[in-house]
Amino acid sequence: MQADPAVRDPDRVADAGTPLLEARDLVKHYQIRKGVLGRPVGTVHAVDGISFAIPRGKTVGLVGESGSGKSTAARLVSRLIEPTSGEVRFDGQDVLAMRGKEVKALRRRMQMVFQDPFGSLNPRLTVGDIVGEPLEVHRVASGRARTDRVVEVLETVGLSGRDLHKFPHQFSGGQAQRIGIARALATNPDLIICDEAVSALDVSVQAQVLNLLKRLQRELGLSYLFIAHDLNVVRYMADELCVMYMGEIVERGDGDAVFADPQHPYTQMLLAAIPGHDPVTARAQERGVATGEVPSASAPPSGCRFHTRCPAVFDRCPTEHPPLYDAGQPGRVAACHLLDEPRQVQRA
Amino acid sequence: MSSDVAGSPLAPVVPDQPRSGDRTPPTPSSSEAPPRRRGAAAAWAGLKRFIRTEKLGAVSLALITVFVVMAVFAPLLAPYDPLQQFRRNLTEAPSGTFWLGTDDLGRDVLSRLIYGARSSMIVSVVTTVVSLVLGTLIGVTSGFLGKRKDMVIQRLMDAIQSVPPLVLLLFLAVVLTPSMSSTIIALTIVITPSFNRVARAETMRIREETYIEAARATGSSSLRTMVKHVLPNMAAPMMTMASLLFAGVIIAESALSFLGIGTPPPTPSWGGMLSSGARYVELAPWMIIAPGLILSVAVFAFNLLGDALRDFFDPRLQR
Amino acid sequence: MIRYVLGRLVYGLVVLALVTVFVFVAITFIPSDAVDVMLADTGATEEQAAAMRSELGLDRPVWEQLGSFLGNAVQGDFGRSFYTDEPVVDLFLDRIPITLQLGGLALVIGTVLGLVLGIIAAVRRGTATDGAVRVTAVTFLSVPNFVLGLLILTALGLWFAWSPPFVYRGPTEDFVSWAQHMAIPAIALGTASMAGITRMTRSSLLENLGSQYIRTVRAKGAGERLVLFKHAMRNSVIAVLTLIGVDLATVLGGTVILEQMFSLPGTGQLVYQAVLDRDYPVVIACTIFYAGLFIVTMIIIDLLYAFIDPRIRAAREAGR
Repeated sequence: MQADPAVRDPDRVADAGTPLLEARDLVKHYQIRKGVLGRPVGTVHAVDGISFAIPRGKTVGLVGESGSGKSTAARLVSRLIEPTSGEVRFDGQDVLAMRGKEVKALRRRMQMVFQDPFGSLNPRLTVGDIVGEPLEVHRVASGRARTDRVVEVLETVGLSGRDLHKFPHQFSGGQAQRIGIARALATNPDLIICDEAVSALDVSVQAQVLNLLKRLQRELGLSYLFIAHDLNVVRYMADELCVMYMGEIVERGDGDAVFADPQHPYTQMLLAAIPGHDPVTARAQERGVATGEVPSASAPPSGCRFHTRCPAVFDRCPTEHPPLYDAGQPGRVAACHLLDEPRQVQRA
Repeated sequence: MSSDVAGSPLAPVVPDQPRSGDRTPPTPSSSEAPPRRRGAAAAWAGLKRFIRTEKLGAVSLALITVFVVMAVFAPLLAPYDPLQQFRRNLTEAPSGTFWLGTDDLGRDVLSRLIYGARSSMIVSVVTTVVSLVLGTLIGVTSGFLGKRKDMVIQRLMDAIQSVPPLVLLLFLAVVLTPSMSSTIIALTIVITPSFNRVARAETMRIREETYIEAARATGSSSLRTMVKHVLPNMAAPMMTMASLLFAGVIIAESALSFLGIGTPPPTPSWGGMLSSGARYVELAPWMIIAPGLILSVAVFAFNLLGDALRDFFDPRLQR
Repeated sequence: MIRYVLGRLVYGLVVLALVTVFVFVAITFIPSDAVDVMLADTGATEEQAAAMRSELGLDRPVWEQLGSFLGNAVQGDFGRSFYTDEPVVDLFLDRIPITLQLGGLALVIGTVLGLVLGIIAAVRRGTATDGAVRVTAVTFLSVPNFVLGLLILTALGLWFAWSPPFVYRGPTEDFVSWAQHMAIPAIALGTASMAGITRMTRSSLLENLGSQYIRTVRAKGAGERLVLFKHAMRNSVIAVLTLIGVDLATVLGGTVILEQMFSLPGTGQLVYQAVLDRDYPVVIACTIFYAGLFIVTMIIIDLLYAFIDPRIRAAREAGR
């Protein structure tokens, strides 16, 4: 097994220009059914038309409060959940058109790390069997070769061959998450989706796991879709940031730029909640802090979905749904009417 | 039941302090968490822990061993041929010659009791194993398929369970010619829905676990996920259920024999012995007391085992 | 609420229909049919047998038999006995009171004793009394009802030379005789439920008494008796009710064997005799009747839940 992603598989079109993963207008609606006949009585807009792209070897962060649809989005691109509509391209291939074997082949290149380190490990299997499962499933290696590869990835994540015959409950949370990462690495994937991968860990352990992920990215040329609600974590990891609110991306742009100068009031609100994050705290004080509960996803507010909580709400907000406006710098967009208005409105 | 249960396979995990960076194998804080081994070794270790932590469970295992020995070595243990009729010793009270007396045809009650364990154990073991496999298969498939198919399968199971067991057994007795295999088939039809119910509930629970999603994300097929991830995680409740239903099968088998539609005479069976004893209640009470007691003790042993298994596997009772 | 009840009824009918289908599919596996059994000793010719089959409709395919059965069943006709030619419905309705008396008595005995013993064990948890109650419960859970019936008969016969009446007399006709006749089988049938309910009451009471909610009630200064009966008990009743539902099937089945043993002319005896006689119409219809009886009782128990627990009621009225 070699580390260089370009050399790994000569069949792959290593076109550095196109992004590794591209999602366009992804939608997932759930019907709420009622009664014996299952009449649909409502629709939950879990994910409502989001688009983003993950460049090769880069990390795209997806942030938002719980229920914003970020985990659903992750499951849509990996086809763990079938989207209602939209388009997903992985390395140029149409993911949503894939069937049985192709989906399986896709999973080999697109692995996932989950939030609950213990919950994602079958308590009745040994570490060797857990990490070796993808190898068996994809018939990459069996027997001796499988064990060798398992030991190799275990060592890559900071565990050792001595852990092969242990069970998950014999490890600490951080170690368990390393096992989960080792499993994701086993088949040498191109993309790893980290769904709140460090949220369940203690802060000091979080840092270790994040550093491990960064190191792996450098050494193996991995791309990450990094989902978290903790902005500090995302800031550390992400090259590009997508902020989600109620199933929609409300702001997107270069990670550092977004942190330095958030354009959407929702992003500002999230950043204001981080202690000591000055640029926003100042602005939030100036404007007042967003309040209130997240509205129900089955009855999203009209117009801008954030208008019920937004401190800067004005007449256009409840009636007109904001598109993603250009936000100055290249690649930066935000769905807020303020960007479309003359400056004085914003100051009012 | 006793609640002083220590380390079991389901012992809740207490994440230790933030020290995940270190590579040294974690030393378990309590002495109760031996490195788990695989296959037979793991089973043996589990059995030893079960006996140590569940005193009543150990008692039940001892009793069950006695019944199994009786069933397997009946020809060696029984003092007489269970079918031999001692014409001059009809309904004779227990004595040095006939330890538990003789029945109305002059047959030795003790020998019939020992041989009776055979039919009882064979019927119960085969029925329980077959129903366990069938019920698990149906329950897991149904729970995994979900939606319409699940609905149809479960209503069918409801239908079978809505007929009281003994009435259903009587009905099936009309359909099948009396024989040991018919008894097994009938009992299997009656018991399978119960296993299905537990297996389905467990499947629904396990299906929501993250490791199932993780398996799918790895690319594991449905079949593989079922075999590798779902089944092993429902073993504990299924074993408990099997033990309790085993007790029920023993009762049902003897009830059928008692009614004369189970194990056909002259093959000795506990139910059949009770049935002939019922005609001599005052004249030869030993004909009732002996099989009645042994039947009850057998049922008791499996009920006790079921209780002990439930405690053993109950994560809430862990210390 | 009305919609919920209707939903339950529809579900019950579906299950009952499935039972009927199951029964008719099963009888196709019968190796020799009723006519062979009936005519076995009469030396009847094959032609006579064939004539009889066609008269009874046995020569038609199963689905046709099922269809005509369902068609007639809707009009209240569930077939006639091969032997007495009486409608099965009449046979069943004539005898069901005895079975219901026996089963009802058994459930009442089991529930009352079980609740009392369970409460005693829970209140005196950890004491010798608790231990004794629990051992008693496990023991009675293990003695099959017909064995218990036999053992009681044996004991009474040996020590008091007493045996129950042979001929059944209704409670209005001769109450003493009725009570003597019913007592032992009802006790034998009820003890298993008693054992189960004792265990359930005890464990569920202990669980509830340790709960946050009960601690709050105690902290408010409520007396121990009030805590036990008004608050903890209410929660335990649900668990016990579920158990009674489960026991119901066992008790209904148990009546078959105990009616036989104590010569009580109930429906259990009817089915058993019909099985021995291979009187198919009676066996078929009775199997379905028993299922109906069970389903109806389960629906009643379901509704009782909603009555007892407002949360269940609210959830159901909100439409499940």
